[in-house]
Amino acid sequence: MKSVVTTVIASADAAGRFPSTSDLEAVQGSIQRAAARLEAAEKLAGNLDNVAREAYDACIKKYPYLNNAGEANSTDTFKAKCMRDIKHYMRLVQYCLVVGGTGPLDEWGIAGQREVYRALGLPTAPYVEALSFARNRGCAPRDMSAQALTEYNALLDYAINSLS
Amino acid sequence: MLDAFSRAVVSADASTSVVGDINALKAFVASGNRRLDAVNAIASNASCMVSDAVAGMICENQGLIQAGGNCYPNRRMAACLRDAEIILRYVTYALLAGDASVLDDRCLNGLKETYAALGVPTTSTVRAVQIMKAQAAAHIKDTPSEARAGAKLRKMGSPVVEDRCASLVAEASSYFDRVIAALS
Repeated sequence: MKSVVTTVIASADAAGRFPSTSDLEAVQGSIQRAAARLEAAEKLAGNLDNVAREAYDACIKKYPYLNNAGEANSTDTFKAKCMRDIKHYMRLVQYCLVVGGTGPLDEWGIAGQREVYRALGLPTAPYVEALSFARNRGCAPRDMSAQALTEYNALLDYAINSLS
Repeated sequence: MLDAFSRAVVSADASTSVVGDINALKAFVASGNRRLDAVNAIASNASCMVSDAVAGMICENQGLIQAGGNCYPNRRMAACLRDAEIILRYVTYALLAGDASVLDDRCLNGLKETYAALGVPTTSTVRAVQIMKAQAAAHIKDTPSEARAGAKLRKMGSPVVEDRCASLVAEASSYFDRVIAALS
């Protein structure tokens, strides 16, 4: 899993040297930013179900045709699966906040995403709408501190870009 | 390769749940500078630690440098020093990451079989690792032995906290123990 620390170690290992001062500086930089990330991760973990539910509702509201017979949100099973997908994205965003990089989204969300949605005949626009709603819903300092919100929004932007 | 953060993520993903135990990670972040000091203490003294550990191992078993011993001739002694440095380096990486996966994947996996095939004596290797374990503890605590170091005594002089980084000493020791367990 790619993070600042593992990247630093991998390059030190490739050169066969002990961690140098600049390696340690890089790790320290990542640690100094960690407080905001972890705050966002903690707040998101505590409210993940509601965040995902609001995002899901927003995208169905914008694309009501999804409820028509034969569409992606038509049956209870489909609805549960749509809801689960949104929750997966929010969970991966939380993982990225913990790791401090986009590794979890890259490896478990984005890799193969396009192929899967094409094979299943799913539109990506509703996902974009759901994540955009979550992107614009957060508010500092009501939900979390400004720096934490910046980190959180940046990851949602990353996920949105991967889908559009 | 994982670090303390990605380890938490991978284990949370196994149960498709969010990372719940943020406080453990906050503690990791809070003691981050101590960890970097500990890594720096080992990295800065690495060559001294390695040569002392190998010299100590040979002092206790002179047969190693006599004809037919595993540190004779110089070519094999050099290989021994190189291996000790490699092991110490991976332990340092593990300490920096806060997770043993880099040590397991890149150093210990297959090491025992390799040494068995090459005829490297396990007991001597383990002894050298034990000496490095004691040295690492002394350097992280910044309490190198004045009696043994003599004129070569070298202290990091970093501001040492009350408990002399006991948790980091224990963590580094656990990585050395992992090496010993993998070899024996």
